[in-house]
Formats: sequence, structure tokens, C-alpha cells
Amino acid sequence: MSDQTAASNLTPALEDYLETIYRLVAKSGFARVRDIAKARDVNPASVTPAMKRLDQLGLIDYQQREYVGLTTEGETAGRRIYARHQILTRFFNKFLGLPADVAERDACTTEHNLSAETVDQLVRLFEYMEVCPEGKDHLSRFRACSAVHDNVPECEHKCNSFTLITDASGTHRLTIADLEPGQRARIRQIESKGAVRQRLLDMGILPHVHIEVARVAPAGDPVWIKMQGYELALRMSEAKAVTVEPVTENSP
Amino acid sequence: MTNDPPRQQTRTPESRTIRAVLAGNPNCGKTSIFNGLTGARQRVGNYPGVTVEKREGRWTEGSFQVQMRDLPGAYSLTSYSPEERVARDELLEGDYDVVVVVIDSTTIRRSLTFALQVLQTEANVVLCLNMADEARRSGQKIDTSKLGRLLGVPVVETAAHTGEGLDSLKAAILASSLQPRRAPQPEIAAVLEDTRTIIEQDDAAALHRSQRFAITIAGILDQVTVEAARPDSRASTTRIDTVLAHRWFGLPIFLGVMYAVFWLTFTLGEAPMGWIESGVNWLGEAIDTNWPGSPDSPLLSLLVDGIIGGVGGVLVFLPNIVLLFLGLSFLEDTGYLARAAYLMDRYLSRVGLHGKSFLPLVTGFGCSIPGIMATRTIENERDRLATMFVLPLMSCGARLPIWMLVIPALFAPALRAPMMWGIYLFGILLAMILALILRGTVLKGDPTPFVLEMPPYRLPTLRSVITRMAERSWMYLRKAGTVILGISIILWALTTYPRPDSFQVDEDIAAGAQLTEQEIDGRRSAERLQFSITGRVGTAIEPFFRPLGFDWRIVTASLGAFAAKEVFVSQMSIVYALGEEGAETDLQSKLRRDFSPRLGIALMIFMLVGTPCMATVAVVRRESGSWKWAWGQFFGLTALAYVLAMTAYAIGGLV
Ligand SMILES: Nc1nc2c(ncn2[C@@H]2O[C@H](COP(=O)(O)OP(=O)(O)O)[C@@H](O)[C@H]2O)c(=O)[nH]1
Ligand SMILES: [Mg+2]
Repeated sequence: MSDQTAASNLTPALEDYLETIYRLVAKSGFARVRDIAKARDVNPASVTPAMKRLDQLGLIDYQQREYVGLTTEGETAGRRIYARHQILTRFFNKFLGLPADVAERDACTTEHNLSAETVDQLVRLFEYMEVCPEGKDHLSRFRACSAVHDNVPECEHKCNSFTLITDASGTHRLTIADLEPGQRARIRQIESKGAVRQRLLDMGILPHVHIEVARVAPAGDPVWIKMQGYELALRMSEAKAVTVEPVTENSP
Repeated sequence: MTNDPPRQQTRTPESRTIRAVLAGNPNCGKTSIFNGLTGARQRVGNYPGVTVEKREGRWTEGSFQVQMRDLPGAYSLTSYSPEERVARDELLEGDYDVVVVVIDSTTIRRSLTFALQVLQTEANVVLCLNMADEARRSGQKIDTSKLGRLLGVPVVETAAHTGEGLDSLKAAILASSLQPRRAPQPEIAAVLEDTRTIIEQDDAAALHRSQRFAITIAGILDQVTVEAARPDSRASTTRIDTVLAHRWFGLPIFLGVMYAVFWLTFTLGEAPMGWIESGVNWLGEAIDTNWPGSPDSPLLSLLVDGIIGGVGGVLVFLPNIVLLFLGLSFLEDTGYLARAAYLMDRYLSRVGLHGKSFLPLVTGFGCSIPGIMATRTIENERDRLATMFVLPLMSCGARLPIWMLVIPALFAPALRAPMMWGIYLFGILLAMILALILRGTVLKGDPTPFVLEMPPYRLPTLRSVITRMAERSWMYLRKAGTVILGISIILWALTTYPRPDSFQVDEDIAAGAQLTEQEIDGRRSAERLQFSITGRVGTAIEPFFRPLGFDWRIVTASLGAFAAKEVFVSQMSIVYALGEEGAETDLQSKLRRDFSPRLGIALMIFMLVGTPCMATVAVVRRESGSWKWAWGQFFGLTALAYVLAMTAYAIGGLV
């Protein structure tokens, strides 16, 4: 498998170039040097040595200097590198729940250091989690668990019977404190701890419960919420620890 | 709980006493039911957590006697406030034949959580769906027999304030005490078993347990709800709240309401005060003129000056106290005080107190003692101590007689209401400043969570308001009848003995002074008083109080106020009556003659801030658990009072 040898000889920089060319070719059938330079964010002149090296390895067709094509070997290697990048990004983003930009960056830095076998296994695990019904179950349980245990290594099946929704992007964190009077929302998580958490739970502030902000006190604090037949006043410090998702339609 | 507690045993007909207990969320109507069942008198409130002490009562049913206890309100058996802990300990360790779990039917979804927690113990439970009238009005219909079958307990619907369903409740209590509890449906039993670890305080477990309960309850309600409540069932409360809890109008309205209560107290109280006053005077004179023995008899003096003068002087203020309590009871029963806590919390938390500090502080306007006891509803110890410490600055009912004596005597009619309002306001402001200082120094720490339920507005029944008012007034009267009677007698003795053998005034007459009969009498009494123990102590420490403008008489009367604030007034009347017998009957006109307004203000400040009464010291000791706090408060406040009164007197001298 000559492409295997050629591809495994690539430096991270060359891998990145090959990936870029692969993407450009896949998009428009060819790759222009200045497009490659633009995509990699470098000077067109500095692309040339890399192209020469890739040509020597027989991965690209560099005859015309301006238009770059892929050899059969180059295409295979490029596809593998590109797929690996995609998989890692999705893994970090969808699976581990990291924000998209973090996932993209981490995929770029780790992809060159993983062996083909590792990537293959990751792909299988990813497919199991995403496609297999049981895997989906495990994935949500894993999310619940990671939210619940939070530095507690022993598992006592506390997370077994409920599902916590982790924010996939991790960026939008809406709490009761952010709601305006008249706005409705559904509770997602209670992030406070200890006595405060217990008190909130006892008062019926639980995931999935619908609430509406009725009004706020003169100084903007406490906030007065309505929920399933009764009304509560919460201090802002408590309200900030209850994440919600907005509800727009007139659902109960 | 594997070994069988006695309540699980089938009762034999010979055991005639049944021990029952009422438990439930705050404000669900436990106390109303308790009163309905036992006929006992007890506070009925609309603010979560009014009942702090357990109350007991009993009734007989055929050959059975049922002993019932009213527990403090609790949202859960897992929670942390002292009163919830009391409820939990009682339910987990108390040995009761029957536990009546009271639920507010209008919030059944949440309240059933508490019911399920109690079902996790092995008690014989009777479930009482209270507020049935309100639930009916909202359109909610529950299949109670099905609910009973699911949970394995008898279920009774009641409306405590009309007495509806209380007979069925009595019967259910009796029946349930005679047979062991049935098992709940298997799926509910499984949940109860699964979430047994009631006292476990793990965060994840807590969420898990709460969610299991919520899901179970949703299932139960799905099966037993014949008709759900209309979504607009709170519409009228919401309409009222848009005004009373309004972001900008709420606070001015609240301040206005408080002002109106005080204004009504003093305006409406005027006439009955006059009647009591003339009644007391008439009695004193009647005894005086019809006295069979000598007019110099010490017994006559004890009766007329000591007892009738002392107790009468306190009795006069009963109309004010009745009216003030009437107003506060009404506000409390309607649910308005919870709104007040919501409106005030930001300001209270800014000075390190809690919205929940508000009720104890307001209660402190009636009497510091129940106010200090009500601080138990505050979960955090530092919040509680700070509230307790500043509570005596709320001008209590016992100080009202002092204001009612001093203000009309020294200020023009137009200034009287503002002066009264001012002294209350001064106390409040000072309390805030002091609380802030305390929370920044000795009581440093994070504030506690504020999660307060806003109950719907309820028009209290006349009976419940009157009952409450009568209870509080009775507390005041009982104090007048016992403590103040005793103190009046002691103070009378201290102001009468030892008696001097000779008088300076006689020597003056022998030396040729021209005096009227009246003047001679007056001088003689004054000398007699100065010769007495009180007079001597008062005279001895008078120089110390001179920067405040106090003369020995005020100092003497203040000594009495250590025991109870209202004693100041009776003491003043004794001091003056003894000192100038027969000259002027009206104490106020004497004050008008002897006092300057600046002295009046210094005196009021000293009486407001200084020397909390002995009962306060004792209760603070009990509630804080240490003498350090009790005496720290006593001496701290007295020193502060001294400085403030001196400053006020000095400033008054400049204007
Ligand atoms: N409409 C209605 N009001 C009730 C009923 N029971 C109690 N209340 C009112 O609810 C308020 C709170 O009652 P209370 O007995 O103090 O509750 P507790 O805190 O559980 O002791 C009072 O204003 C009562 O008058 C009821 O069955 N129907
Ligand atoms: Mg009660």
C-alpha cells in the first residue's frame, strides 16, 4: 500500500495542505494555488515548497503550476484526512458537548497524532452512539451522569432514572434571572447546591416544569414566578442558578 | 424502621387515648383545622411559618379521647429551617397513633410530595384535602376514594374555616387509629421504597428523589383528577397583585397601609381610652371616699395608688393595643404580609436581614416576645440573630402607653400623628443601621436563600381575625394582671418605705415660712418619696442621667421600665400622685408643666432604644441559646440609647 506509506510520511503541515486540496477539488474539481494559500491563510509563494514535496510523493499533479490536481493515491489519503477531521470535530462537538469553535480547534490539533486504527475505532463508537437506539440511551445517560457526578468518581446509579439536557454548544445559558415579566420558560437544570438546591426542589422547581415570570420587586429583586397553580418569590441569586429554555407557544 | 413501633399495632378498645398530629405545608390550614377540631384558640396566619411552637388540644369522641398536636409547617422532611426540623423530628421519632397530613387542595401537585414523604414513614396517615371550597370554586374535582385506594390511606375533604368536613375528619382519625395502615398500590410503594433515604443530603440524590416523586404524583393526579382547575383560578389574586405588588406603587402603598393602621389605632382609640380613664378614676375616688379606716392607712394607699393607679394606667391603653392587633391580624390573614416581605426583601437583604425578618419585626410592633419567637422561621442562624438583636427597636405595644402619655402632653395636636409615625420610623431606621453593622462585624456571612410562597388573597373570616386579636390583647392584659400588678405593688412599696420620721417642711414652718395647706402636703409627699428606696436610688444615679435632662423622677420611673416598658407610665403616675397628692389629677398636664419638648424627645429615644425588658432578655437567652447575646443586646442597646438621647437633648438645646 504505497499511499499508506506516502501518507504516513506526511508532516502535519503537509497533511493540512492535502486536506485543503481535497476539499477544494471535491468542491470544484480543481484547486488553484491562490485558493489553497487563501484557505490556509498563507502567502502564495510559501505554498510552492509544499506542493513540490507532495508532487514528489506522488500525491498531487503539479504539472501546470497554477492548477493543482489529485492523484488517485492523493485522493484516498486526502479523503481519509478530511474524514478524520470531520469525525473528530463532530465527536468533540456532539458527543462531548463542547462548543463548535473549541471542537474545530481541538480536532485540528489532535488529528495528526492519531493512528488510523484509533480513528477507525472512534468512528465505530461514534456510529454506535449516534445510530444504535441503545447507544443513544447510553449517550444521554452519560450526559446525565457527567452533570450529576461532577467530581464524584463512584457511581451509585443516581443518574439512572432521569435525563439532564446539557447545552450542546455550551454558549447559551438562559436562567430565570434573564426572563422579563410575562415571559414563559421551561426549567432545565438547578445548578445550585446544598440547602438552596434542596429548598428549590422542595418548592417544586424541577426540570421540565413550566414557569412564567409575573413581576419583579421595586429594586429588580426578588423575582416573582408563577408555576403549576402557585406563585413563588425568588431572590436573583437563586434565580441565576436555575437554567431554563424559553417557551413561546401557549403550551400548558 | 423494621421493629414495629406501637402505632402499627391494632388498638384494643380499652386504650381510650389517641395521639394524633397535624402536619403539612405552611399555610395549608393546619391551625384552622386544629382550632376547628379542638376548639382551642391559636394564631391563624397567612404567612408561611406563623406556627412555630407546637400546640396541643383535645376532644372526646364517645369513649375515646383524642389528643392532637399542631406541627409547624414544612415543605419537606429534608429541609433545614428550625421549624421544619421540629416537624421532621416529630414525624420520624414522635410516637403518634395517627398523622393527619393536611394539603392545600389548590396546590395539590406540590403538596402531595410532602404527603408521600410522610407515607415513607410507617405512620397511620389520614390525608386531609383542605381548602375544598377554593378548589371547588376553581373547578377542580378530585376522586378522593380513588386517591385513598392508590395511597392506601383515608382521604377527607375539608374547608376548615367553615367547618365543612371536620366531622368526617374526626371519624377518619378514629377509624385509622383502630387499624393498621393499608399498603399503597405497588408502583407507589416502589417509589416510596426507592427514595427511602429521606435525610440524605446528596445533591444528585435530592434531584433524583424529587423527580421520582414528581413523576409519581403526575401519575396519581392523572388517575384521580375528574376535572382540572381552570387556568384562571387565581385571576382575582393576580388582579389585586398588579396593584398591591406593583413594581413602583407597591412600596408607597405598603407604607401608606402601615400609616393608616397606626392612624386608625390612635383616632379610634381615643374615645374608649377616655371611658376607661374615667372609670379607673371613679373607682379610685369611690374607694377613697368610702374608706372606713383612717385616710392615712397604708392599705388605702396600696389599693388606690399602688394597685388601681398602676394597673389602671396600663389598662387605659388597651383600646390602642386591641386596634393595632386588629389591623395587623387582618393584614396577616389576608396574605398581604407575604407581599410585604417580597417588596421589602431587597432592602432587608441589603442590610443583611431577610424578607422573612419582616414578619418578626412587624410582630415586634405588638410585642418583642412573640417577635423574637417568630425569628425561628429564619433559616440562617446569622440572619436570625441579627433580626433578634434589632427587634426591640421596633416600638412594641408596651411602649405605646409611653408615647401616648408623652406625645399629647408635649406636642400640638397637628404634630402628634407625625411624631408617633416618626418614633416608629426612627426605630426602624436605627434597626437597619444596626443590622448592617452586625452583619458586617460579629455576624459576617452569606445571606440565606429567599424562596417564599405567595399565597392567594383570602378574605379572613371575622371570627379568625377577632380570635387572633383577642389572643394578643389577652396576652397584654394577662401581663397587666400578673406581672404589672406584682411590679406595681413592689414599686409602691419601694416608693413608700422607709418612711421619714420628720419633714424639712415642718422645720420651715416652724422657722416662719408661709405655706398653703396644699403646698405643705405636696412638699411632705415629695420628701417622703425622696426618702424611700426608689427615691434614694433615683437620686443617687440622677447625676449620671443629667446630660439627658432626666430628673430623679424620670430615672426612678425608668428603673421600673427595666421590668416591663409600660410600667414606666404607672410608675410616673405613682411618683407624681404620691409626690403631689390632690394637686392635679391629670398626669399629662403635670408633664406639660415640667417637661420641655426636647426632654420629651430624649426620653422617648431612651425608652425606644434602651433597656429591653426582662422578658426580652429571657426570651433572647432562650432563642439564641446564650446569655452572651441576651446581655450583649441589653447593655449594647442601653449604651446606644444613652448616647442617642444625650445627643438629641444637646441638639434640642441649641435650637
Ligand atoms: N378558603 C379557605 N381558607 C382557609 C381554609 N383553611 C384555612 N384557611 C385560611 O388560610 C389561612 C392560613 O391558615 P392557617 O390555619 O394559619 O394555616 P397553617 O399555616 O397551616 O396553620 C388563614 O387565613 C385561614 O383563614 C379553607 O378550608 N378554605
Ligand atoms: Mg399554623
